[in-house]
Amino acid sequence: MVSLPGATPFEVVAIWSVLVIAFFGLAYAMFLRRQVMTCDKGTEKMQDVWDGIRLGANAYLKRQLKTIVPLIFLFTIILFLSVYVVPPTEESKLRFAGYSEESLKLIIGIGRAVAFIMGSIFSLMVGQFGMRMAVQANVRVASASRRSFAEALKIAYRAGTVTGMLTDGLGLLGGTLIFIIFGVASPDTLLGFGFGGTLLALFMRVGGGIYTKAADVGADLVGKVEAGLPEDDERNAAVIADLVGDNVGDCAGMAADIFESYEVTIVSTLILGVVLFTQTHELSWIIFPLLVRGIGVLSSIIGTYLVKGSKNDKSNNALKSINKGFYSSAAISIAAFGILSFFYLHDWRSFLSVVVGIILAIVLDEITKHFTDGNYHPVKDIAKNSKTGSATLILKGMSYGFEIAVWQTIVIAITIFASVMIYYGQPIVYVLYGVAMTGIGMLTLTGNNVAMDAFGPIADNANGIGELSHLDKDARKIMDSLDATGNTTKAITKGVAIGSAVIAAVALFGSFITDVSKVQIQMGFEKSAQLIETGIRISVPMVFIGLLIGGTIPFLFSSLTINAVTRAAAQIVEEVRRQFRIPGIIERTVKPDYQRAVDICTISAQRELIPLALISVLSPILIGSLLGVEALGGFLAGVILSGQLLAVFMAGAGGAWDNAKKTIEDGLYGGKGSDAHHAAVVGDTVGDPLKDTAGPALNPMIKVINLVSLLAAPVIIAFQKPGQASVGMFMTGIICLAIIIGAITFSKRGGFKKVPFEA
Amino acid sequence: MNKYIYLTATPEALIASMLRPEEFGAYLSTGTKKRNKGQAIFFEVDLDQIEKLINMDSLNQRCVPKADGKPKSSVYLSVYRVLETIPLVALKSLYLTTDNGHTLELKKSSYDLSKETVGKLRLFQELLPVSPLVASELTPSAFLKKLTDGSIPIVLPKLFFVDLKLGELASNPLGGSVENLPYSNVGHLRDCLEILRGEYEKHMKTVQRVYSGSLLYRTIESGFYVGSKAEIIYYPYPTLSELENINYEFFRSI
Repeated sequence: MVSLPGATPFEVVAIWSVLVIAFFGLAYAMFLRRQVMTCDKGTEKMQDVWDGIRLGANAYLKRQLKTIVPLIFLFTIILFLSVYVVPPTEESKLRFAGYSEESLKLIIGIGRAVAFIMGSIFSLMVGQFGMRMAVQANVRVASASRRSFAEALKIAYRAGTVTGMLTDGLGLLGGTLIFIIFGVASPDTLLGFGFGGTLLALFMRVGGGIYTKAADVGADLVGKVEAGLPEDDERNAAVIADLVGDNVGDCAGMAADIFESYEVTIVSTLILGVVLFTQTHELSWIIFPLLVRGIGVLSSIIGTYLVKGSKNDKSNNALKSINKGFYSSAAISIAAFGILSFFYLHDWRSFLSVVVGIILAIVLDEITKHFTDGNYHPVKDIAKNSKTGSATLILKGMSYGFEIAVWQTIVIAITIFASVMIYYGQPIVYVLYGVAMTGIGMLTLTGNNVAMDAFGPIADNANGIGELSHLDKDARKIMDSLDATGNTTKAITKGVAIGSAVIAAVALFGSFITDVSKVQIQMGFEKSAQLIETGIRISVPMVFIGLLIGGTIPFLFSSLTINAVTRAAAQIVEEVRRQFRIPGIIERTVKPDYQRAVDICTISAQRELIPLALISVLSPILIGSLLGVEALGGFLAGVILSGQLLAVFMAGAGGAWDNAKKTIEDGLYGGKGSDAHHAAVVGDTVGDPLKDTAGPALNPMIKVINLVSLLAAPVIIAFQKPGQASVGMFMTGIICLAIIIGAITFSKRGGFKKVPFEA
Repeated sequence: MNKYIYLTATPEALIASMLRPEEFGAYLSTGTKKRNKGQAIFFEVDLDQIEKLINMDSLNQRCVPKADGKPKSSVYLSVYRVLETIPLVALKSLYLTTDNGHTLELKKSSYDLSKETVGKLRLFQELLPVSPLVASELTPSAFLKKLTDGSIPIVLPKLFFVDLKLGELASNPLGGSVENLPYSNVGHLRDCLEILRGEYEKHMKTVQRVYSGSLLYRTIESGFYVGSKAEIIYYPYPTLSELENINYEFFRSI
């Protein structure tokens, strides 16, 4: 089955071992799940509250599935047919030598379609299973907090680890399986795998982001600001939607987001690895990244299992314990990579690239912490500006948001420069491979990262259940402490997610250049016209136009997602106000209709998926078909640059405003109820959709555009030869433009017709 | 069901209720459509001490369980010049409720005059019967005496007030740090304190004429005072670390 020409026995064993490790990672996830599920669910009152969250979460997941499945079906057909437009690569002919041209097309077409389905389903599984696990865990954490801090921490973190290991295991499984079956032909199908995962991540990120913030902003505006109710008050009709939203956004959305970065980095590395393999005939370019990923899974298993509190712990050391697990995994990984490089590669360059990736993750984490953590100057400074009102607080937050975007981008630029230095004097494809390996290194500890992220909504929901079921003081203290730790871990993983998205996009950009050149060679282009020779020349007007339009796409995307949140939040506000007017709700004699708020959020979130997906998928086709493939390269550069800057700005400013508010709530400038607090609440409300909806949605959007470009480029080259006009391409561009305009109109108005909300 | 009598500060009213103090606080702050948010500050009043001052027949007729058997939440007995009519001896514990309904009980204690520090600037929020925010160089007992003993043209029969934090401004009005203050117009506050420093005869300066209706509980310095002339009842306010252990829900809400 395995076709690895020239593979040593060690390499054959290694590749099978990686597959076994992938299954081992999944088995570990199942083992942890069973551990969590055996824990008790607490009192009847706790289970009653939890039931509302569980049903809301199920309703969202079911509806999401209903929206997404037809699209998966449509794209599967498109990907299958794409092979009949652009013939399979030379590597595919080599891998499946002896098959007729038609059979080969069928094999690659099916392979690409199946890989797409696999990528989509794996991404969906990570999001949906992860979210279901989080929902199952939260009531158990709340119940355990009545007994001990250590038990509550263990359940919350292990439930988060289930999602982490699903991400690890499924990501590794998909890439390895494709490589085992398709060997050097795997780039032809890997794109389908990457595209499937990325498209689903886009859906989950956008849907999750809109849901969570519509519920959160809506619940806060009426409940906390207007009615003065506490967080998670049972009289607030949006309280359950808010709790469900934490899972939808921070668990399902984030896990799918990191999964697709994990997947895309391995896809781009294998594509570049295959290019280097064809040049050097050394399989290590392909085997090493898979082994690195395998080691990462094992070290994550060890590190995550180490996270537990001791029996005598009271609280406040959850982060210490989680960090212990994280750094243990990092140390084990680096040592194992070193040993592998020494005995297998006999070359330190790939090892250095991976280590640069791990360092990058740590540096990005520190920058994020510096600008968004309440213990550092920027957040204190923003909080200080609350004394002169919300305007100065917002301006200060924007100022720091812009600054964090500068530093993070410079760090990423330095990282790419490090790859240039590591592969100094080598052709460009080596440097791009180095960048891809940096991405592999950065996501080595994905198991730990996703576990830390999923820990956040689990602890948050547990606290909500505690509040709504009136648990005692000691249990509440434990849950408050876990919740605070969860806020920190969520902020940290957001930084990693954005950083890894950019590195993955740069690696894909590299794959775009090499892939386009390969097709150009195949099509008989002259050497001087090949992209790898010309590069992407921004001095060419068409390329510059592509660059400019690329730069606008993240802004358009952010505008539409924020608009969607605002519209949905307004509906929630009206609904909660309406329910407050129902006799008995304020007096606690009547229970609010929580389901209606859940329905509003679910419908609003799903409504935006199609138009935003259409913009992401069709915009590169529009540019490629009207302006050409080099302009498409410029377009990608524009998307990556403005997307990265905007995503970091929004995450940074939003996180800083959030923590400025928390700092004031902890007692600074008069604490809750003070004028400073009111100003900080405004800042936090403005920042919420930036940091949790628009910013995170840009990560998968950047990669969807890159992957569509990679898939569409061969078609564009085939039909649009230099110096020749193509009516077909022109018509394609016009159709794409018309659909995009329709999608924007639909998204801005919340539908083609203005209709009152009907749940 | 027991009957309780409460003297509320906002608005000044004497209210009978069948709710216990914690329930009554939650009811006032979040449990009624008249007002579903907002702080409440109230004393529990000893009914035995005021029996002769109120119409007991009316109270017994009106303060009865509702038709569905639930306790009566509030029966207003008086709404004007209430504090001055209630003897100090009738005041029991003081209750502070946050705007989301969590209540803290402050027990009354005797006030030790010997522990007062003279020469320090202070900020007093008067609560009843009038409610300006006043900066003063007087100690709490001297401030109470000054406003209730008739030695100045403005005289009050009784006074209920709270001592608020001034931080470094208490000793350094112009250069002191202005973190965590109960009043946001810091420039004006500095001016008021500086006037007190500069004018020998001036002992009090109004900072804000009317109480905003919301007290920042984190900015309470020593506690609440109620009294007349030399008679003073003190309700000490715990430190934040004490508060976290005494009443965690209240602590989380402020």
